[in-house]
Amino acid sequence: MTAATAAVPAAASTESGAIAVRGVSKWFNTAEGTPLQVLDNINLTIAAQSVVAILGASGCGKSTLLNIISGIVTPERGEICINGITAGRFSEWRSVSYMFQEDRLLPWRTTIKNVEFALETGNMPRSERESRARDALKLVGLEAFVDAFPYQLSGGMRSRVALARSLVQEPCILLMDEPFSRLDALTRAQMHEELLQIQQLKKMTIVFVTHDVEEAVVLADRVVVMAPRPGRIRDIVEIALSRPRDATEPATARLAHDLKSLI
Amino acid sequence: MPEVLESQIHARAPARGWRFNLVLQRLGLVAVILLVWWLLSLRVPHYVLPGPARVWDALTLISANGNLWQDLGITLGRVGTGFILATLVGLPLGIIFGANKRLGEFFEPIIPVMNTVSSAIWATFAIIWFGVSNATTVFVVFMTAMPLIITNVWQGTRTVNADFIELAHVLRMPARRVMMKIYLPTILPYFFSGARLAFGFGWRVSLVAETLGSSSGVGYRLRQAADLIQTDQVFAWTLTLVVMMAILEMGILRPLENYLFRWKKEAEGS
Ligand SMILES: Nc1ncnc2c1ncn2[C@@H]1O[C@H](COP(=O)(O)OP(=O)(O)OP(=O)(O)O)[C@@H](O)[C@H]1O
Ligand SMILES: [Mg+2]
Repeated sequence: MTAATAAVPAAASTESGAIAVRGVSKWFNTAEGTPLQVLDNINLTIAAQSVVAILGASGCGKSTLLNIISGIVTPERGEICINGITAGRFSEWRSVSYMFQEDRLLPWRTTIKNVEFALETGNMPRSERESRARDALKLVGLEAFVDAFPYQLSGGMRSRVALARSLVQEPCILLMDEPFSRLDALTRAQMHEELLQIQQLKKMTIVFVTHDVEEAVVLADRVVVMAPRPGRIRDIVEIALSRPRDATEPATARLAHDLKSLI
Repeated sequence: MPEVLESQIHARAPARGWRFNLVLQRLGLVAVILLVWWLLSLRVPHYVLPGPARVWDALTLISANGNLWQDLGITLGRVGTGFILATLVGLPLGIIFGANKRLGEFFEPIIPVMNTVSSAIWATFAIIWFGVSNATTVFVVFMTAMPLIITNVWQGTRTVNADFIELAHVLRMPARRVMMKIYLPTILPYFFSGARLAFGFGWRVSLVAETLGSSSGVGYRLRQAADLIQTDQVFAWTLTLVVMMAILEMGILRPLENYLFRWKKEAEGS
């Protein structure tokens, strides 16, 4: 593996893959009638081709923030810019892929058909869809299960199918909500390595949510720590360790320890 | 990495020995019924309960003179027409009522009312409106089958998973494709069970309609035979219907359902 550059230079925001979150606030209607503020004035710039982790307690609005970045939820205040274009006018959504917190596999589709689903918006020929889906499944180690239905897969396998589905469209921006939380430690380490390799190869920007501090330290260039009620940014920590990183090394462990005290 | 043998994943079909056993059981059941029937028929006059041999003779008679196939075809054609019309109307209406809450709430009371109206009443109306014709039977089948299909499809649209819609939304999938790729597969099992119910009901009410307002078809033949106290022919017609429904169920519907819904997890021990 090539040693990745740790610090990404502050990129011009028009570069492909750059994300800017400007003054975003979000309220949800509640049953009682008083709106609940979930996000409060979030400001965040994410450089193209960087890896950013979002850490924070349960319920502090991490999923909501990803929903807003992916354009499926509109904030009451503030705006999102992707490649320097505001979300309202941005059209290249096909280059943004979102791996949800739940796997969301369609139960009536086999593994490979589920992966192909991500390619069915355009008019890609069937044979190409299939071969790309097959490659993506090989990447996550599920080539033996292409014809299995979701109910025949374990939880970890299901989330790997979801990962394959979000990679198959070869996105510039990959948003991931707790992507590896259901994997065992060994598989997770493997997936980390694979992901970083793909990220290098395809020059992707990755924004992922995690509860696992070690995971954040191993993968991310920057860690955004959020505070709850209402969700806001408590701190942004640059991780300047050289790659590849190992969670058991003293420097990594120390950083993880420091981060834990922030949450 | 967790590995399961791939062959195990496809090991769904029941073992061969088990299936053979089932066939034997069914044959045994038929034999028992025939035996009881035969024993009973020995003790009562043939116009009350004709024995198996007599019924077989009647069956060969009506199949030889062509009535059997012709009238079966006529009735099947009417049931099929009514059923297809009911699907063409019921499927879109069910989807519309399911997708549009306002419309659904407005029309909701009609369905139980329609379901409670007896098919004899529909048949009476049909005779007034259409006289003795094909349309009478078709109408009765239609009025019976349509509410069943609407209800089931409606219920199906309510179970569409919002998470899947959101997934399609993230992929910026056009509405028509979302309909085809998410709504339709979700509704299909509901539609299927509704359609099967509707077809069964339609078949039964078609006979009622034919005895009242028709000069052909199985229902007409049944009444004719009853009027002439040809009990053996009544039995012959009944037997034909039972066999036909069994073939339809086991030869077409069951395999189709097994194939279409092979993605469903089977409950343990079923
Ligand atoms: N559609 C919605 N309607 C109303 N409230 C919502 C909605 N979605 C989220 N919320 C509320 O917003 C808050 C943040 O939710 P969110 O899912 O973003 O949290 P999270 O940080 O992802 O939590 P977790 O780590 O448990 O996944 C929660 O209090 C939740 O109840
Ligand atoms: Mg969440």
